[in-house]
Amino acid sequence: MDMFLYVDIDSGLHRLDSRTKLILMFLSFTVAVMFFNILILGCLLILVTSYGASGRILGNLKRIKVVIFMITLFSLAIWSIARPSDSKVFIFSLEGLFYGIMIALKTNTMIISGMIFLSTTKIEEIAEGLVKLKVPYRGAFAFATAIRLVPMIVATSYTIIQAQKSRGLDLDSGNILQKTRKYLPLMIPTFISVIRSTNIFSMALESKGFGYSKNRTNYLNHILDSRDYFMLLLGVLILAAAIVIKTYPGLYDNFVLQFSWSEFSAGYPNWSI
Amino acid sequence: MKEEHVPQREASEIPVSDSAVEVNNLTFSYRADPENKAIENINISIPRGQFVVIMGPSGAGKSTLANSLNGLIPGFLKGKYKGEVLINGKAVKGREVSEMAREIGLVFQDFEAQLFSTNVNLEIAFGPENFGIEREEIVRRIKKVIKTVKLDGFENRQPATLSGGQKQRLAIGSVLATYPDIICMDEPTTDLDPIGKIGIFNIARELHASSQFTLLIVEHETEEALHADRLIIMKDGQVLKDGKPNELLRDVSFTDEIGIMSLHIPSYFSKLLHMEQKELPLTPEDGVAVFHEKKLSFDENKYAEILRKEDVRETSYGDTVLTVDKLIHVYPNGNKAVNDISFQVREREFMAVLGHNGSGKTTLVKHFNALLAPTEGDIIIYGKNTREYSIFEIGKEIGYVFQNPDHQIFADTVFDEVAFSPKIRGVDKEEIKERVHEALKAVDLVGYEEEDPFSLSKGERQRVAVASILSARPKIIVLDEPTTGLDYKEQKKMMELIKQLNESGHTIIMITHTMWVVSEYAHRVAVIRDGEVMMDGRTRDVFAEEEQLQKSFLRTPHIVSLSNQVGKTVLSLDEMINCTGGAH
Repeated sequence: MDMFLYVDIDSGLHRLDSRTKLILMFLSFTVAVMFFNILILGCLLILVTSYGASGRILGNLKRIKVVIFMITLFSLAIWSIARPSDSKVFIFSLEGLFYGIMIALKTNTMIISGMIFLSTTKIEEIAEGLVKLKVPYRGAFAFATAIRLVPMIVATSYTIIQAQKSRGLDLDSGNILQKTRKYLPLMIPTFISVIRSTNIFSMALESKGFGYSKNRTNYLNHILDSRDYFMLLLGVLILAAAIVIKTYPGLYDNFVLQFSWSEFSAGYPNWSI
Repeated sequence: MKEEHVPQREASEIPVSDSAVEVNNLTFSYRADPENKAIENINISIPRGQFVVIMGPSGAGKSTLANSLNGLIPGFLKGKYKGEVLINGKAVKGREVSEMAREIGLVFQDFEAQLFSTNVNLEIAFGPENFGIEREEIVRRIKKVIKTVKLDGFENRQPATLSGGQKQRLAIGSVLATYPDIICMDEPTTDLDPIGKIGIFNIARELHASSQFTLLIVEHETEEALHADRLIIMKDGQVLKDGKPNELLRDVSFTDEIGIMSLHIPSYFSKLLHMEQKELPLTPEDGVAVFHEKKLSFDENKYAEILRKEDVRETSYGDTVLTVDKLIHVYPNGNKAVNDISFQVREREFMAVLGHNGSGKTTLVKHFNALLAPTEGDIIIYGKNTREYSIFEIGKEIGYVFQNPDHQIFADTVFDEVAFSPKIRGVDKEEIKERVHEALKAVDLVGYEEEDPFSLSKGERQRVAVASILSARPKIIVLDEPTTGLDYKEQKKMMELIKQLNESGHTIIMITHTMWVVSEYAHRVAVIRDGEVMMDGRTRDVFAEEEQLQKSFLRTPHIVSLSNQVGKTVLSLDEMINCTGGAH
């Protein structure tokens, strides 16, 4: 089973410098955090998804479909109950439901944006990019390794779950509490296996000269080219547009007046349909 | 031509010191266990260009020695260190591991954990990058190394998608790229299938042939040690013997005694004819010559008796307990791992499933206890179709021992571990006690009830894992490589245990790479290649077809080869001694 998130194909998005992709990812985070508006966040999600589609990696999203689905489900369920509202039907409110949609959009956009970055950028490229952005190599490597560790843990725990199932452990039935109680002991063999292999991993690292010299060279040698500058410019323009929308006197107020149902910023308390 | 492919330093860079490795009075005990000396008073001097194999039973201190060569001991693995290790004249103690990495490359057994890059090129580039080698030079080195470790065409593949043998070759390549002139491999072939093993040994021999490389390999396979210049045998932290492999390995009584596997051919002639040690042949080919020379022959009656016993055993099998019917399994990524396999297993059969990594054998057996569902076809266990019953239901009939016991063990005590299965099946307390006792007795671990399973040795943990399956009283037991990572004595013990289980009525299905285990213990062999059954029959009949086996990259043990070449197929040393004789 392939446990890496990276999708090994050649696309324009894959060929972009990792710094470009990293910056674009953070730009998308910034815009997502700036707004509390369903329409704008919806547009952002479409933008981010079509960016991912250009790298032909959206298929990779099905690997986190459970996460996306759960986040959507929980924020809809929780917020439609928990958000204070004057117009509650039983314990639910429509206002809460829309707020839940907004939160789900915000969170999922960021997750999808991160997933696009990891699907199109090799771990070494991430490290290379971070180093070129003046992050110390050890730090960049530690970050890259942490990403690498996740699939390893998943693979190990998968084998362990299979081993216990074949001993008769029934992991599929029961409520959440009962399930958790059954899964908990499985953490022990998982951690022991992971600790054992990370130990060998670090021994192998040292045996290949890790940390020998401060002047480490890099086999990967990406340079920012015109496509990178174009994408960065595009990203900055979108951010600039977002700032203008948010700050230009009256512009945002007018927009909110039109679609007040979609807005949840602190300054616009009067929610009504 | 070959010279060009071997990555190594310029002649001017080769160190001037005479010996590549110099170990003087080395004693080391790990911090976790200070009373126990892992190695004691080791003295070894290895001249440049020598090919050395280090052997010995578990706990001999082989890995401790290997890890002290590049400074992992005492730099990374701390403890009490006395004596000195010099590599190319440089004292290891007090130097960083990364500095020693220029002189000596270390390859580990666990190839999964030592590879971490996204593709093959980047994996090889990692070492040179650390040493600040210019990019153009790294590109050149990658090309060379790829050729040496025979990974041409795999440059952009993710390591995870390579076979075990390829992964280990990549691990060697990634170390070669820093151009050390000494390579030490710590049990590099333990987890590999026969074809993967051959690949590693071929690379080792090629490196050795370039004459500049000093090569140390810690190895279990006696048959492979014959190709080395020198053999060092260790036990209990000490060097017991140090000499030419063909001389040391002729001393069968010694290898028998310390518990490494004795070569079959010298054992046979020494036990049958009491020949002088220096006259003993070592390989099947030499054995054939001596067999004829001494005018040995098979006792037809005794051989017929062996065959008759096998017939009797076969008629005593019970009904069919496992039916595999036109099984096809396609993974979600489209990979067809099992392609139209059908066979039946009867009660009390002992079946070995052979095949290289990725042949589909694990996929096949995971269907037997419903861990995997057939894409097409059916599996029927004691009349139950696995499509219609849960793992829990099927698990009453069939137990599955996973390859790595550490994936299975999680309780604080051996008792709880073994009691786990009956407990969740709702067995009452008294009976649980009885079952745990029975299971521990079967694996010879009575008295270990209160021990912490994680503090036991690998061989013991493997037996706890088997006991924890036995306590559910399954009628069929599936074992995935039960002898991997065990030394010869432990392997033998494990197999005797499985044999007893079989004789007491269990049906056994076992995946393995270890050919002598198959030949001595299995009644029946199925050879899987590319998801299909290539051969299936009595072990004796399958092992008679050496050429066919070789097509699946399997080699028969030496004694079987010898017997095949002189006209009959025997499966063990005892059989051969028992039914040969004649004028000598």
